[in-house]
Amino acid sequence: MKIASSSSAMPATDLSLTDEQRQIADAVEELLARESASAAMRRAAFEGDGFDLALWRHVSELGACGVHLPADHGGLGLGMTELVLIAEPFGRRLACVPWFESAALAATALLFVDDESVYARFAPGIASGRTIATMDIGLVEAPPVMAKRDGAGWRLDGRLPAVPAAAAAGVLLFVAASDDGPLLLALALDSPGVRRRRRATHDATRPVAEVILAGAIAGAADCLCRGDAATRAVDLTRQVAAVALAAEQVGVAQQCLDLTVDYLQQRVQFGRPLATFQALKHRCAQMMVAIELARSAVLGAARALDEGPGADSVLRLAAMARCQADEAAQFCTQEAIQLHGGVGFTWEFDPQLYFKRAQAARHWLGTPSAWRERVAATLLDEAAA
Amino acid sequence: MKQAQDPFRAEVANWMREHLCGEFEALRNCGVIGDEHYDPALGKRWEQELARGGWVGIGWPVEHGGRALPLAQQVIFHEEYVRGGGPGRLGHIGETLLAPTLIAFGTPEQQRRFLPGIRAGTEYWAQGYSEPNAGSDLANVQTRARLESDHWVIDGQKVWTSWAMESDWIFVLARCEPGSQRHQGLVLLLVPLRQAGITMRPIRQMTGAAEFNEVFFDGARTEASLHLGAPGQGWKVAMALLGFERGVSTLGQQAQFERELHTLIDVAKRSGAARDPLLRQRIAQASLSLLALRCNALRVLAHEEAQGAGAQSREAYIAKFAWSNWRRDFGRVIADVLGPAADLIDDDPAAQDLRRIWLASRADTIYAGANEIQLNLIAERALGMPR
Repeated sequence: MKIASSSSAMPATDLSLTDEQRQIADAVEELLARESASAAMRRAAFEGDGFDLALWRHVSELGACGVHLPADHGGLGLGMTELVLIAEPFGRRLACVPWFESAALAATALLFVDDESVYARFAPGIASGRTIATMDIGLVEAPPVMAKRDGAGWRLDGRLPAVPAAAAAGVLLFVAASDDGPLLLALALDSPGVRRRRRATHDATRPVAEVILAGAIAGAADCLCRGDAATRAVDLTRQVAAVALAAEQVGVAQQCLDLTVDYLQQRVQFGRPLATFQALKHRCAQMMVAIELARSAVLGAARALDEGPGADSVLRLAAMARCQADEAAQFCTQEAIQLHGGVGFTWEFDPQLYFKRAQAARHWLGTPSAWRERVAATLLDEAAA
Repeated sequence: MKQAQDPFRAEVANWMREHLCGEFEALRNCGVIGDEHYDPALGKRWEQELARGGWVGIGWPVEHGGRALPLAQQVIFHEEYVRGGGPGRLGHIGETLLAPTLIAFGTPEQQRRFLPGIRAGTEYWAQGYSEPNAGSDLANVQTRARLESDHWVIDGQKVWTSWAMESDWIFVLARCEPGSQRHQGLVLLLVPLRQAGITMRPIRQMTGAAEFNEVFFDGARTEASLHLGAPGQGWKVAMALLGFERGVSTLGQQAQFERELHTLIDVAKRSGAARDPLLRQRIAQASLSLLALRCNALRVLAHEEAQGAGAQSREAYIAKFAWSNWRRDFGRVIADVLGPAADLIDDDPAAQDLRRIWLASRADTIYAGANEIQLNLIAERALGMPR
């Protein structure tokens, strides 16, 4: 992915979609509507371990795991526009597969490492779905894992308290501190010295595990990049992946609106459908305003990223998509519970699942307030101006 | 950088630099009527300067005197116009509302008669829709029009008519079939404003300025041929006209908001408000939401280009509610950044425009379909909820 060093305003002016782009999005939406409907999703989340292996095979067969990875390394060679179109249905169906972690997050990190040998080693596996990768994207400035020189490689000690998809994944990307500065490492999770413990989460559709590294060994080839390059790769990955996460949040919000409108159409009180009451209609309309504005933000950000924006534009685009989508997801999940009335508070109805996802997503890849403060610094502080 | 490399963008920017100078310098960054700095006579000369530069009707078809520029270039024009300090456009109603409607519904005679004046910046139009008892409920229009030999004769009253004092013509939604109800029996008439049968009275607004007017029709006349669309079909034409309101010009409006935001940021830096953590959050969110509004407008345009103008998409339904509420919220950010100085009209001249926006933004969520009407439309038309 090309990020120019110079600054420029958002370049994209054409937000139209091609037929091919629509078809890709429709194919994923159809698959997930069929295979990850509420009952199947709940089975995977609450009767299984939050990982629907059969669904993962379907997703892999569609080619959805290597959307923006290079075509000569097994990917589809497409862009962020396609990635966000696909991310939305994954959020909408709370699909119990580590698609986001592997195909959107870890795969994006590979793009910013941009090294032929790294592509050759990881991209074909990730793109085909045979390899599930995930990434811990904490603070580069203070990584919780220490790496000490051990021959040509490193000896790793530390604890990553909550890594999404770590139980299902085969490869973990993370940052370790070393005497040579930060290292971006890719470690096989079945290596000696690696322990994983599944953690109980409110959002059971995105399982999280603790990863403890006690003397695990990373070889020289496991270091994808180091120093400033590692810092840059992780920061850009966080920003670009935040746009994909925002797309997922739009899907969360959209499903809440659809469930709510359906419910209000069916539920009769005072002798008429609840959907005829203006107070309730206006609440649904406000949900739609938040959703469409967020969807526009996500699409605009993705399209601009595909055109190779300047580094400070990337920050603005990521912050825009993330803050608008977070607002939509928070508002719509809360309203869905409220407008369903008593049943909205029950385990049996779905709004609660989306409410929990919205909260979990809000604190991943940077909180909205952290994104806003980064943008505020570029707007308001003389040193940065 | 990318923008400077685009020759069209450079052409617009250069033109603005070379022409928004001399006497026009006084219009730099001005609003329209309602902005106390705006001089209407000078504003009209500026419209004619734009026309000579070929910047009026850039999206119209060539056969109607336009340049049929592609959408991307129209967007660039509107952005660079505002970046170059271009003032509000007195020709807006004629160029972006009436002209597309004339092109879609007008007779060849009407097109030949009215498009050149709009294109040249020599004839200005006002919009005669709202009445004292037909605001949000526009279909309750009571103004009457009757055909008398070779003339329409019009009686009634319009209200909230922006810029009428500076306009030459008005398009009037009137009831042409006595006893007709609601959307039936209406006609959209093109009526000369300066005539004995029409009286205008400015309405003073909460900002203190008078941007809009009451317009009284007392036996006002217009030629029999000056109905836009068939008599009786006025509602359809009037609604189509509103559909054009969401077009490319909204991009210029957003560039203007961007300019206002930069003014606020300068004030916040000077006053120290930029160090307040909560104001930092609000200013950053205002900036990000404005960028999101731009994305939404571009999405609306992409849909319209694919489906034809006036095609209603999900993003189009929410556009007005979204931008008007953004601006109203922005008005509150302005007031909080200014602090006690928000109330001091004679304070820092650099903040004068901001103080005006704080008040003026309260109109945005009322005109052109109030918030509550917008939410009805979204719920009933976009979400399919019952009336």
